[in-house]
Amino acid sequence: MSSAISVRHLTKDFRIGLRGLKLRAVDDFSLEIPCGQVYGLLGPNGCGKSTTLKVILGLVSATAGEISILGEPSATSVARRRTGFLPEAPYFHKFLTGRELVRYCAQLSGVADTELGAAVEDALGLAAMNEAADRPIGTYSKGMLQRIGFAQAVVHDPELVILDEPTAGVDPVGSASIGRMIQAMRAKGKTVVLCSHLLGQVEQICDRVAIMDRGKLVLEGAVEDVLSRRDRHVMTIEAMTPTARAAAEAALEAHGAKITSVTHPRRSLEDLFRELVTGSRDA
Amino acid sequence: MLWISQVTFLEAVRQRFFAFLLVLSAAMVLSSVSLRVFDFGHGELKFIADFGFGGMFFFGSVLAVVMTAQLFFSEIDNKTALTLLAKPLSRPEFLLGKFFGAWAVLGVFVLVLAGLQGVVLWAREQELVVMAEQAGKIPPTFSIVGLGQLVLLQWLRLGVVIAIVLAISALARTFLFTVVVGSLAVVAGQLQWIAQDAFLRPTDSPVYAAFLWISTRLIPNLQQFNLADALVLGSSVVEEGALISVGFSGLAYLVAYLTLGSLIFRRREI
Repeated sequence: MSSAISVRHLTKDFRIGLRGLKLRAVDDFSLEIPCGQVYGLLGPNGCGKSTTLKVILGLVSATAGEISILGEPSATSVARRRTGFLPEAPYFHKFLTGRELVRYCAQLSGVADTELGAAVEDALGLAAMNEAADRPIGTYSKGMLQRIGFAQAVVHDPELVILDEPTAGVDPVGSASIGRMIQAMRAKGKTVVLCSHLLGQVEQICDRVAIMDRGKLVLEGAVEDVLSRRDRHVMTIEAMTPTARAAAEAALEAHGAKITSVTHPRRSLEDLFRELVTGSRDA
Repeated sequence: MLWISQVTFLEAVRQRFFAFLLVLSAAMVLSSVSLRVFDFGHGELKFIADFGFGGMFFFGSVLAVVMTAQLFFSEIDNKTALTLLAKPLSRPEFLLGKFFGAWAVLGVFVLVLAGLQGVVLWAREQELVVMAEQAGKIPPTFSIVGLGQLVLLQWLRLGVVIAIVLAISALARTFLFTVVVGSLAVVAGQLQWIAQDAFLRPTDSPVYAAFLWISTRLIPNLQQFNLADALVLGSSVVEEGALISVGFSGLAYLVAYLTLGSLIFRRREI
């Protein structure tokens, strides 16, 4: 499988203060992100995720290392034409309407005039922003801002979409909506790189994850592989009585197995919240 | 680049600062008619022209410095530049887009004020012609063609100021620093002719000579665009060659500062 993003030995130092003290934000970081997957880049605040994304997008220069996007050097306009980006806490010109913003970004991304109208409508549709598209951006809620940001990132039909904290400050319903947009991108064969602190959502929608800490890569792999504990098993049992439990324990012990805990299954608060409020308004 | 210019233009004309300075400058032009009694012994038309064009020069410079810095830093500080520069758009294209957007706004500013000034001068000229005929004197005149030439020169002068401010913005970290240094650059440009005069005089100090040589080339002579009296009121003859020379000098500085700004901005981390 070819790489959507290839990062080799990336190091990024920032000079701070008058004495030029060196702050190492990213330290010998290497990563291969395969095409067609949803990839989660995780880590605590200040671990170097956003800096890595900025270097990948050519917004910040690397101190050392090589980066390519879809086989092209990352800083070239060819690579950026094939990439869509939603920055963290996006801010757009408030006087533009959503439609004008998406059109503006499509023009900057080189969408041909003949395809402009259809591309804008497609992107607005994907982000579920058709109804609010003619309102000034200054009137948008945080969730709508993220969604219009998503629309501007995908309007030129990029092969790679990079989303930096797309769910920051968004309620669970809006967050689920963004999750669906990401899944729609995957269904179209696009590669999505997602930075997020919503670990539950990352677990649900990402194929692979990488975890960064203090500028270094500490874990990388398929979600299923990194989360599974192969030496433990979970069974969900209905209508279990004390007698049934004792019998089950005895049967398992006869085969050298042991029950270490018995709890009631729980749904997450996010699931409960979504179950209660999704029906009352559009996600 | 065209799209960046368009959005920059829209953003700028919506600013209250632009509207405020436009109204203030227009008020200065209109009030010059009622203040003409204070003409200090000069001709009335000269007083009206000096007062009105003075407002255009001063407020145009303020607008060029503050508005350009604001348009640049609003993109950086609000991080809209992150979204835009992640597109297949080069840094020089972004900077040029900002330049043309700001320059177009100042074109509107100069055109509106010059139009107003033209109407005021023409109206007063008509009255003065009648009075001069009755008194058997030579009537004062003003030139529409000269006004058009002055508009172009002022627009070019403000373009040079915008280019300087963008070069400073590309290097600076804050809006305030850019406005202060940009304002000083405009003042230095207005006084550059003093350095030019000094440079022509012989000096024994090579350091002083080098300082003068650098200042006369690094800083554009903004005073050379101030030909209102000669062009509009015909107080002296301006040769066509001189106008072309001023025009080329302005364009050369404009291109040089935009190139410098682009080179600096290419290395800037967003």
